[in-house]
Amino acid sequence: MSTALSWTELRSSHSDLGSLLAFRRSGLTDTSRRRMRVAGAVVLLLTVAAIVAPAYLGGPLPRERGGQLLALLPSMCLGFLVLSAFTAVASAGGREVLPRDQAVAFPVSTTTDHLGALILAPLNIAWMAQAWTLLGVTAYAAGPDRLWAYELPILLWVLVATVLAQVIGWIAEGVRRGPHGIATLRAVVVLLVLGTSILLMTHQLTSALDRSPTNLLLDMVLDGQTGRWLPWAGGVGVLVVLGLVAAVLGALPARWALHRPMREELRLESGRHQARTMPRSDFMMMLRIDRAAIWRSVPLRRGLMVLALMPGAVALAGDLEWQMLTILPGLVASGGALLFGVNTWCLDGRGALWRDSLPVSPRVVFASRAVVLLEVLLCTAAATLILAAVRAGRPTTPEVVALICSTLVVSVQVVAAGMRWSIARPFSVDLRSARATPAPPVVMAGYSARLALVTTVTGLIFSGLATVEDVRYSVALTVILLIWSCWRLERSAQRWQDPVVRSRVIATVAG
Amino acid sequence: MDELGHQGQTRVDIRGLWVRFGAVAAVRGIDLTAGAGRATALLGRNGAGKSTTMRVLAGVIPPTEGYVVVDGIDVSRDPLAVKRLTGYCPDVGGLVPRATPWEHLQLAARLRRLENWESRAHDLLERFDLGDAAHRVTSGFSHGMGRRLSVVLATFHDPSVLLLDEPFDGVDPLGVEATLEVIADARARGAAVLVSTHLRDLAMQSCENALVLRGGSSVAELRAHELVGEEGAGVYRALLD
Repeated sequence: MSTALSWTELRSSHSDLGSLLAFRRSGLTDTSRRRMRVAGAVVLLLTVAAIVAPAYLGGPLPRERGGQLLALLPSMCLGFLVLSAFTAVASAGGREVLPRDQAVAFPVSTTTDHLGALILAPLNIAWMAQAWTLLGVTAYAAGPDRLWAYELPILLWVLVATVLAQVIGWIAEGVRRGPHGIATLRAVVVLLVLGTSILLMTHQLTSALDRSPTNLLLDMVLDGQTGRWLPWAGGVGVLVVLGLVAAVLGALPARWALHRPMREELRLESGRHQARTMPRSDFMMMLRIDRAAIWRSVPLRRGLMVLALMPGAVALAGDLEWQMLTILPGLVASGGALLFGVNTWCLDGRGALWRDSLPVSPRVVFASRAVVLLEVLLCTAAATLILAAVRAGRPTTPEVVALICSTLVVSVQVVAAGMRWSIARPFSVDLRSARATPAPPVVMAGYSARLALVTTVTGLIFSGLATVEDVRYSVALTVILLIWSCWRLERSAQRWQDPVVRSRVIATVAG
Repeated sequence: MDELGHQGQTRVDIRGLWVRFGAVAAVRGIDLTAGAGRATALLGRNGAGKSTTMRVLAGVIPPTEGYVVVDGIDVSRDPLAVKRLTGYCPDVGGLVPRATPWEHLQLAARLRRLENWESRAHDLLERFDLGDAAHRVTSGFSHGMGRRLSVVLATFHDPSVLLLDEPFDGVDPLGVEATLEVIADARARGAAVLVSTHLRDLAMQSCENALVLRGGSSVAELRAHELVGEEGAGVYRALLD
C-alpha cells in the first residue's frame, strides 16, 4: 500500500470536506441554524473576553502572582497537549464528520476523514475551557501592552497542540487495530503511569517539567511583551510551519490506522454470550438488556473505563485535597452522559421498534434506562474517587458528607438532563464504532457545555460546604437539589408515556 | 379444530385510519378488515402507508384519527393489551444490536408471560437456520439473518394477529420457505396475518387477498388470484400509477 501523499489528494480532500460539512448543514432546521449561529457568537465572544478582560481588568501592573502564573505557563501548555492527545486517543483518532454507516455510500478518503477530525476537535467544552484558560492566564500575567504579540504564540500553540494530538491519536488507533493492539496500548499506558509515579515519588516532576520544550513558548510570550521582534518572529514561524507540517503529515498515520481492520469491534460483534436464567421481574429483564447494550459496545466500554480511571489518576498526580474532590463526580457524570446518556434510546438502535411492540409499561422501560444510566455514572464516579482519595489524606466528616452528597446530586442531575434531551432530540446512531458519538458533534458541544456548567457549579458549592462544620447544610442542599432533579425526571417520564412523543423518538432512533 | 372455531371472527378492524406526522399525512383514511385464519397482503410503492399501518396495529404509533380495533380492543384506548395480542416484525432492523437472539426471546417470553417457552424457541431458531447463532450478538448478523430472526420473534408467542413487514426482504429461499410455513401455521391456528411486501409473487403465495395502497389511501382490494402471473402484474402496475 502506498503511503505517499500528493498535493492533488490534499486539495481534493479539502474540497470533499467542504461538501461533507455542507451536507451536514443541509440537514439542520432553521432553529438549529439559529442556535448554531448564536453558539458560535457566544464562543467567539468568550474567547475575546478570555483574552481582553484579564489583560485590562486584572488590576495594576505588575500583577499579583503574575510571575508565578507565567512560570506555570509552559506546564499548562504541555498539559493542553497531553489532554488533547488523550481526547484524540480516547475517541479512536477523532470524531467523524459523517458517521461510518452513512459515509459508506460516499468515497470519503482517509485524508478527508483526518481533516474532518481536526476541524471537529475543538467542538468540546474541555478543549475550549483549557484554551480560554491558557489565553486568560497569559493576558492576566502580561497585562494590556502588546497584547496581540504575546497572545499570538499561545493561540498558535493551541492549534499546533491540537494537530499534534490528532497525529498521536491516529498512531494510537493504528496500534490498537493491530494484532495485540489493545495489550500494547495498555502496556504503554502502564509505562506512562509508572514513569509519572516515579517522577512524583522522587520529587522530580517539577524539574522534568522545567525541561519541557514548551518553555520556548514562555520565551516567545516575553519576547512579544518586550518587543524583541526577531526571536519572536522566528518562534512564530516555527509554530506555523510545525502546525502545517503536522496537519499534512497527519494524513499518513490516519490512512494507516483507518485501513486496518477494527479487530475489537469485530470481536465484540461476533461475540457469544451464554444464556442466563430468567430474571425475577420485567424491570430486571429490561435492565439486563440495557446493561448488555452498554458493556458490549466498544466506544461505551472504552469511554467508561477511561472516565473511571483518568480523572482519578490526574487527581492522584495533582495531589488534590478532599474539598476539591467534590468537582470530580460532576466531571465524570458529564463525561458518562456524553457517551450515550444524552441520546439514551439509541442503545436500542434499529431494535427500538420491536422493543416498543412488547407488552410492557413505558414507565418500566423509562425506569430501566434511567437506572442503568445512574448506575453507570455512580460506578465510574466511585472508581474515580477511590483513586483520587489515595493521596488526599484523612478526610473530615463534613468533607466526606459533601463528597457523597455532591456525587449523588450531580449524578441525578445528569440523568435528569440526559433523559430529557433523549426525548426532546433523539438521533439515529450506530454505536458500533469507537469514533461514534450519540449526537452530531455540534450538538455534543452544546450538551457538554451545559453539563459542565451545571455540574461544576454544583461541585463548587459542595466544595464550599465541605469546609462548613455542620453537615446538615450539605444534606439539606442535597435534598432540595434531588427533589428538583427527580421532579424533572418525572416530567420526562410523563412525556415518555405520551404515545405520540414516544413514537417520534422510537421512529427516529430506529432510523 | 381451532381453525374452525375461529372462522369468521374479525381480528383486525380499521375504519378511517389517518396518521399524520406534523404536516405530512402518512395514512389517509384507510379501511381494512382481517378475519381469523386469513392472510392479507398490503401492497404498494414506497411511502404508500403500509409500514405506518402495521406500526399502528402493533401499538407502536398512535392513530391520529379513525377506529382501529384488534381482537375487540381499541388500540388507542389500550395499546398494551393490543401489544399482547400481536406479533410484529418491523420493516427496519427490528433487533437490539448488542443482544443475542436468545436474549431477545427471553425478553419476549418474560414480558409476554410465556411458560416453558424454551423448546418452542429452539424449534423456531432451528427452522429458520439460526440455531448456531442463538447466543451470538445480533450486530454481526447479515441482513437476511436479521430478517429471519425478526419473523421468529413475531411468531414466537403464537399471536392472534401476526404483522410481518417486509419479511422476505433479502431472505434466502430456505428463509422464505420457513416464513411461508409460519404464515400457514398462524392461519391454521386462527390468527389473522398481515404481510406488507414489495414482492407481489410471494405475497400472493402466502395471502388470499390484498389491499393495494397508494399515497396513504387504499386504492383496491383484490383476491390473490387477480394479482397472479403476467396479467396480475399488469393489474398491479396499473394500480400503482
